[in-house]
Amino acid sequence: MRLRATGLRRVVGDRTLWSGLDIEVGRGEVVVVRGPSGSGKTLLLRALAGLDPVEGDLTLDGVPPHTMGWSRWRRRVCYVAQDPPALAGTPEEFVRQVSSLGAQAVAEGATAAVEPMALAATWGLGEEAWTRPWTELSGGERQRAALAIAVATGPEVLLLDEPTSALDPAATDAVEASLQGRALVWVTHSAEQAERLGGRVLELSA
Amino acid sequence: MTGPIPLAPWQIAAAASLLVVNGLISVWLRLGLERTLAVATVRSVAQLAFLGLILEPVFRAGSPWLVGAICVVMITFAAHAAVQRSSRTVAGLFPSSLLALAIGGGGTAVLGTAAIVQVEPWWEPRYLIPMLGMILGNGLTGISLGLDRSLQQMDEGRDRIDALLAFGATPWEASGGVAGEAVRTGMIPILNSMTVVGIVMIPGMMTGQILGGTPPVQAALYQMLILFLIAAATAIGTLVSVLLSLRSVFDEAGRLRPERITRRAG
Repeated sequence: MRLRATGLRRVVGDRTLWSGLDIEVGRGEVVVVRGPSGSGKTLLLRALAGLDPVEGDLTLDGVPPHTMGWSRWRRRVCYVAQDPPALAGTPEEFVRQVSSLGAQAVAEGATAAVEPMALAATWGLGEEAWTRPWTELSGGERQRAALAIAVATGPEVLLLDEPTSALDPAATDAVEASLQGRALVWVTHSAEQAERLGGRVLELSA
Repeated sequence: MTGPIPLAPWQIAAAASLLVVNGLISVWLRLGLERTLAVATVRSVAQLAFLGLILEPVFRAGSPWLVGAICVVMITFAAHAAVQRSSRTVAGLFPSSLLALAIGGGGTAVLGTAAIVQVEPWWEPRYLIPMLGMILGNGLTGISLGLDRSLQQMDEGRDRIDALLAFGATPWEASGGVAGEAVRTGMIPILNSMTVVGIVMIPGMMTGQILGGTPPVQAALYQMLILFLIAAATAIGTLVSVLLSLRSVFDEAGRLRPERITRRAG
């Protein structure tokens, strides 16, 4: 499995955020994305996930998203927001909604299925958080719940936008440890975290 | 039984004078509706007078092309009104409403004259034009309510839809609840009407037929027919317009493009 993006270019207004950008990641590899605020790190992840428009070529195992089908692409290349929105309902209800998506049944090449609640418990998220409304959860609780749901859907590439920015050091360590061995594109502002994660570093400039 | 007592212009003026009450209430409560009220009054007089004058020669001419042209004009105006009433808009909303009213309104009106009432010919203007008018007048309310609701939900619920898309939902799966809720909203007025009709209100068509000398039972049967046609037209029209408007908010890659929704001023 290999995600390859070549010649990516994104213009916002009259500003070119990045141009001629190439990214490649496979199973067990990490690409760390760094750069100042406003350099388009989030837009890059959303573009790779097929959630925002971008110029350039994307392929997963040589297959472009329009051939594969964009929904299937997004299932296999999953984006997790830095600050998951406070949705209506509870995380438990959202899990049910996500697992009812017809698309999930045919997730091919998916990594072994995991139970989101059990996974998030290893990151210190208590079971009771899943039955509380999203609006009542803290930023860190929403972050862990959303990340656990994303991992549980079995994507082949995880696009993580500062996934531990609201977590304490112990939870951060636990998250980093449990995501090892996956294909990751990981945005972080922390030089220490970038070092711990290893892998290639992509620096974006403002 | 004879036809209704003919009305003279002075009698219309007498009825219109009652609108002074509306004007006084507007001034007293500072509603600022005086100008709107005056314009609406003049428009309704002009439009109805025009309709009355134009229908006479149309009924006499017996030309299907002329009837078709009038139906097209009616559907076009109805689509324009439906779009104007929505608090949010998106590119392509007018053609969507036009198609929705043509399929829902035009389709059910023709079904009503051709297959149910079995008028000969099916385009007989004395039947088709009033029936289409009743259907469009009610159908556009449902469509505008449905469009307003769907675009509001897409605009305000963009986080949820975006989150579902990120987990591999198709645009249809991500916005499926929106479409259902919007169609339900669009159906509420006609369902309310069907609930109270005959008890709380005697609708316009039945009133007109009774005044025109039709036996009340026959007038009631016609009213039932038109209510059912309106209900079907509203459901079809609202569903078509809502689905087409939702399609406009996603791009060819199934990405949500909330920036395509614009809010109307006021």
